Amino acid sequence: MLKTILCVDDDPITLMLCKKVIKKAEFSEDVLFANNGQEAFELIQSLVNKKQNDTEINLPQLIFLDLNMPVKNGWEFLDLFNTTISNEFLETKVIILSSTIDPSDYNKAKQYDIVSHFLSKPITVEMLENLKPIYS
Amino acid sequence: MKSKSNIIAFVFIIASLFLAIIMHLVLRGSFKNDFQSLITFHFIKDVSFIIAAGLLLRFVIARNDKRNISILEQLQTINTEIKDSNERYDIVAKATSDTIWDWKIQEDEFIWNKGIQGIFGYKKEDVGQTSSWWFDRIHPEDSLKMSVKLYSFLEQKTERWQDEYRFKCADGSYKYVFDRGFLVKDADGKAIRMIGAIQDVTKQKEEEQRLRLLETVITQTKEAVVITDTDISNNPIPNIIFVNPAFTKMTGYKPKEVIGKSPIMFSGPKADMSELEKLSTAIKNYKECFIETLSYKKNGEEYWVNFSMIPVTNKEGEHSHWISIQRDVTKEKNQEREREQLIRELTQNNKDLKQFSYITSHNFRAPLSNLTGLLHLLEDVPIENEELQEILNGFKRSTHLLNETIEDLVKVVIIKDNPSILKEDISIKEIFENVFFQLNNQINLYKPTIKFDVDETLSIHINKAYMESIILNLMSNALKYRSKDKVSKILIKAVDKENFVNLIIKDNGIGIDLDKNGDKIFGLYQRFHNYPDSKGLGLYLVKSQIEAMGGSIEVESQVGKGTQFTLTFKKE
Repeated sequence: MLKTILCVDDDPITLMLCKKVIKKAEFSEDVLFANNGQEAFELIQSLVNKKQNDTEINLPQLIFLDLNMPVKNGWEFLDLFNTTISNEFLETKVIILSSTIDPSDYNKAKQYDIVSHFLSKPITVEMLENLKPIYS
Repeated sequence: MKSKSNIIAFVFIIASLFLAIIMHLVLRGSFKNDFQSLITFHFIKDVSFIIAAGLLLRFVIARNDKRNISILEQLQTINTEIKDSNERYDIVAKATSDTIWDWKIQEDEFIWNKGIQGIFGYKKEDVGQTSSWWFDRIHPEDSLKMSVKLYSFLEQKTERWQDEYRFKCADGSYKYVFDRGFLVKDADGKAIRMIGAIQDVTKQKEEEQRLRLLETVITQTKEAVVITDTDISNNPIPNIIFVNPAFTKMTGYKPKEVIGKSPIMFSGPKADMSELEKLSTAIKNYKECFIETLSYKKNGEEYWVNFSMIPVTNKEGEHSHWISIQRDVTKEKNQEREREQLIRELTQNNKDLKQFSYITSHNFRAPLSNLTGLLHLLEDVPIENEELQEILNGFKRSTHLLNETIEDLVKVVIIKDNPSILKEDISIKEIFENVFFQLNNQINLYKPTIKFDVDETLSIHINKAYMESIILNLMSNALKYRSKDKVSKILIKAVDKENFVNLIIKDNGIGIDLDKNGDKIFGLYQRFHNYPDSKGLGLYLVKSQIEAMGGSIEVESQVGKGTQFTLTFKKE
């Protein structure tokens, strides 16, 4: 089981679904949530700061990221993450979880080394079961 | 000579008479008046007379002879000179290839030199001696004009005359000749003789006609033609030495306004500098060049010109001129620009629409995926209220149907966006096995008789996912629209032709009324039977996918008897 993961989505129902499915699949001990790329980035940054004082703090090992979000979308989050704080997260991977059908989104995702999977919503128990052997 | 003989005879007689008288007077005193003395006197007188007369005669003849010899010598010299002069005249005539004629006008005596034989092929005996022989051999089309000119010349009695006409040869053909004549006048100023020299100018004339014909190309063509020299010391583009009428028509510049100037003068603020650069580089290297640029007319109007510059060489192979052919392509250019603009707009519109369809799809799929996810979770929650269970089941079915519809629509959108798809050689049998596996439930439920007549080794060059989707759609249609009163029969058959493979899927179901719906069967949102789970998308998707792979599909159907789909795939 993973220690901490982060789910980023602007849709509260999707987040609720994530929470329930992750719990049901026993995929991670802790689940953090953010409503858009900006919130996610700020959350991570505050965790990084806290970790300097308290080594007990766990940084998310996996991020489920939606693409279409207000304020900062998934791509903007990835760019910001890559350019500023990715050094702290050598182990962290991002899974894009989206409803997009635009082929250019799939191609764009391939350009980010940090992105390990591109999955189509909804998140399901089977999906997480398949991911388990890869991330634990 | 006669007069000379008379003079000699006369002098001799006078001299003899004088001598006879002298003798008589001298000798008379010396002789006696007797008979004997008379005889002696006469004898001596006769002898003396004969001797004196003989001496006198010899003197006269000798003097005459002397004079005769000197005359003869003079004559001989003159003769040689005439001969030389004649020879010279023949040689000159030969050297200039001139045919000389000499016409005594009053007597109408006409004499030709040898040229009439050499150049025009006449035999000596055939050559006529009068002016009419000459006139008869002038081409009928030229003779009137020529004789008018000739007679007016004779009347005016100017010294010179020249004309061009066609002269008939011995073989009947005509040569172009250039004839020049001089008039000889007597003391009263009356024309008595005319001498002319005929020059054969056929070759020059033919060349002239050929050149004139070639020239018409330049003067008559609709393309502007400009000829320049090769001097680029002052300008990168050399100076104009000729422009044709089409050029004037195109630019408004008259020849005298541009000759001696460089075509650089047609350039202006909007001219394409890189094209002009290309041109001047080509000119430096004596290379032909084709450019297109905005140019300016005399009135300042802009026009697009298609401009070629081709180097030409003289006989010695030296680069002597540039020929430039120019065409006003403003109309084409504008059309091209409009077309490009239209394409740009259409491409943008298409892109916007595509983006719109992606966003719409995304916005549909996002809440739908939540519904699906939530229903998944619900599966494990025990529900005791039966009515609630029933309602939830309804939710679930509707959600699945909505999901399928959206997924199909998404497929359509993506097919339209992916004209080139990955194709590989796939076994037909394998495709059907996968489809049968997916349709397992329905096959077990309806138990159709499936006849599978496909060569196991037969494979076609297709996209696997598309092909599975196509067969799944057609097979599930065959099951869905089966006839209620008989056992469902499905025939699957592959026919391997030389260049293509035909795949036939035939059922004995309820069929489609093609007379009514033939043109709509593969259309979007076309439904022919009131079945709850028919969305009117399946056949549209099938056709789109087949066509995306370069194949085609045809349908035959009769209501109540069944439907046959024939799919054609090219072998590659």
